[in-house]
Amino acid sequence: MEGLFFNINDGFIEAVVRGYKNGLLSSSQYVNLTQCDTLEDLKLQLSATDYGNFLSNVSGVLSTSIIESKLNDNLVSQFRYLKAQASEPLSTLMDYISYGYMIDNVALMITGTVHERDRSEMLERCHPLGWFDTLPTLSVATDLESLYETVLVDTPLAPYFHDCLSVDDLDDMNIEIIRNTLFKAYLEDFSDFAKTLSSPSDEVMCRFLAFEADKRSINICVNSLNTELTPEDKLKMMPGLGRLSNPAFQHQMVHSDDLEQLKIVVNSVGEYKNFFDESNDKSMEDHFYEYEMTLCKNAFTQQFTYSTIWAFLRSKEQEIRNIAWISECISQNQKDRINNYIAAY
Amino acid sequence: MSGAGNRESVFATRMTLSVMKGKLKGAEQGHSLLKRKSEALTKRFRDITKRIDDAKRKMGRVMQTAAFSLAEVSYATGGNISYQVQESVSSKGRFKVRARQENVSGVYLPQFEPVIDETINDFKMTGLGRGGQQVQRAREVYTKAVETLVDLASLQTAFVILDEVIKVTNRRVNAIEHVIIPRTENTIAYINSELDEIDREEFYRLKKVQENKQEGVAQEEAEDAARKSRKADADAAEAEALAESIAKAKAQVAQAETDDEIKTTKNPVLYEVSQVEKLEQRAEGGEQAVLQETEDDVIF
Amino acid sequence: MPPASELTQNRTLIAAIGDEDTITGLLLAGIGQVTNEPGREKNFFVASESVKVEDLQKIYNEFIERDDIAILLINQHLADKIRLLIDTFTKPFPAILEIPSKDHPYDPEKDSVLRRVRRLFGE
Repeated sequence: MEGLFFNINDGFIEAVVRGYKNGLLSSSQYVNLTQCDTLEDLKLQLSATDYGNFLSNVSGVLSTSIIESKLNDNLVSQFRYLKAQASEPLSTLMDYISYGYMIDNVALMITGTVHERDRSEMLERCHPLGWFDTLPTLSVATDLESLYETVLVDTPLAPYFHDCLSVDDLDDMNIEIIRNTLFKAYLEDFSDFAKTLSSPSDEVMCRFLAFEADKRSINICVNSLNTELTPEDKLKMMPGLGRLSNPAFQHQMVHSDDLEQLKIVVNSVGEYKNFFDESNDKSMEDHFYEYEMTLCKNAFTQQFTYSTIWAFLRSKEQEIRNIAWISECISQNQKDRINNYIAAY
Repeated sequence: MSGAGNRESVFATRMTLSVMKGKLKGAEQGHSLLKRKSEALTKRFRDITKRIDDAKRKMGRVMQTAAFSLAEVSYATGGNISYQVQESVSSKGRFKVRARQENVSGVYLPQFEPVIDETINDFKMTGLGRGGQQVQRAREVYTKAVETLVDLASLQTAFVILDEVIKVTNRRVNAIEHVIIPRTENTIAYINSELDEIDREEFYRLKKVQENKQEGVAQEEAEDAARKSRKADADAAEAEALAESIAKAKAQVAQAETDDEIKTTKNPVLYEVSQVEKLEQRAEGGEQAVLQETEDDVIF
Repeated sequence: MPPASELTQNRTLIAAIGDEDTITGLLLAGIGQVTNEPGREKNFFVASESVKVEDLQKIYNEFIERDDIAILLINQHLADKIRLLIDTFTKPFPAILEIPSKDHPYDPEKDSVLRRVRRLFGE
């Protein structure tokens, strides 16, 4: 039924997204890229793709960072275009997507503020997708209390701060803990919102968010193994959704003292079984990306959903990472690992 | 004489000669010692430069691997962690160095050793949400890389110090070889020639004295002989008159007296002669030395 | 000359001047030290591609005059910008080491010390 009216508001956007999706590099194009010997070759190969001559304005020597920033510009302009066309509830969904980047930006600004760094320098480093109007004013606040009361209150992130952190917490807590606590609140909120979407958007979005949450949970537990974080601290950062969110799993995970115990918990979820498989030189992160790409690929098989936006964004980000990786391998002459990219399409 | 200007201003005495000879010996000994030191240092130096060359090339590779591990981090975290890393640095460095001394032929070469305080980890939380493992791996790779850099720094410092020390030592060696030793030799030659000059004067003087003395002696002897013959004539007349036994005894006594006199007048003359002979020998030797010297000069 | 131990015992830090990635890596290894003491707040300096030569000179002079730095690491492409200063630096401490950066592979021909090595052996 829903599909009947979908195209009234969102048909154009979906068409555009699918157009963008077709512009993503195919595996044969990736193979071509890996054959390049210099970054100039890479530029030539990329100009044969949808990227066209996006690097033609670059003067001087190409470097990975230049390529990466150009690719990011490309992504941002596509996202902005989509957002400009979006109507409710898609626009809200896209707002939610950008909240994730906002959290990163705010965390960055807080770090900078604590260490009294140059404001313009920090603003340059902020992710453009997480930009909001009051972001520059964040650095005006000299201490964290006023930061919260004068600036953060007016941002969309305020509820997350409000729910999970008191003002006192802001002072001496590690910024990474703040970031992850915020992310937990964000994911939970996002998931609540996603559930209100029409079917099948809600279904696919929830699948994405659940995986996102699980990924964070696993990462937090793995990376905090030999730190002084208490199980309670960890628990505060574990999102309350996803397949690993049931209390029994969470309890086991936060109390794990080594990787083996964690593995047992994670492996009890069928789909996540091979995450700790270290063969083929693959890290946990590689497995995450791979799984995410499978999800994205599957998402595109559904029609009339908003989730294609998310799937496209993630695929595009993966593509940027892939190209950055390949160009890094080329420029640093590490050809033996060049095939570590993940091509989904 | 060549190099006459290049000598120390001393009085030509036997005392200074022996002092100068001591100095020359000292200089030669010092020269050979310094030369050996310089050779030892140069050996070490060459060794180090070779190792620096190797190490620098190796460092290129190590740093590349390290930079690549950072690429892995940015792949895994999907973003740039550098800002976060810069801000997480605390007031205590984890990776420091300690300098140890190594003694090479009296030169202290510092040897840096990495000191890693494993209790400090400013970046435990970095990448907590994603990519933490890669961050830790990059940390290890970079720790290794910095260890290589520290080794290289030791070599390089040793290189700089050795370079300086070798230069100083070589300067000393050259100074001794080309300035101090020739000058001392010149001084010795000068003193020798001065002494010879004095000796020749002395020889001439003595010869003169000898001549004078010999003339005197000859005159005296002639007078003596004349007096004796006169006395003997007179005595002979008396003796004929006197008893034969007394005359015999007297004649014996007179004979003995003349013998003694001759001995006492002759002995000093003999001494003088031997002295003159010695001086002559020495003068010859001196001439030979001078000859030698001039030959040397010609060679130079 | 005072014994070298006196000269070196206070020198425990490794300082670094480099591009962002190099510094990040070195900081991950733990060379960083940030204090409130005037004149020695930071022992690392991030130089962007557009860094001014004067700024480089200033920070370089600051580092070589600090008496707690044993080794100064500097990216080769940055060292090129202040080559004269590095070529004329003859003191043993701090040891100045030119290191490659991600985008600028190491070129032994440019290294001040290696050039000295070559000159010494008449190559």
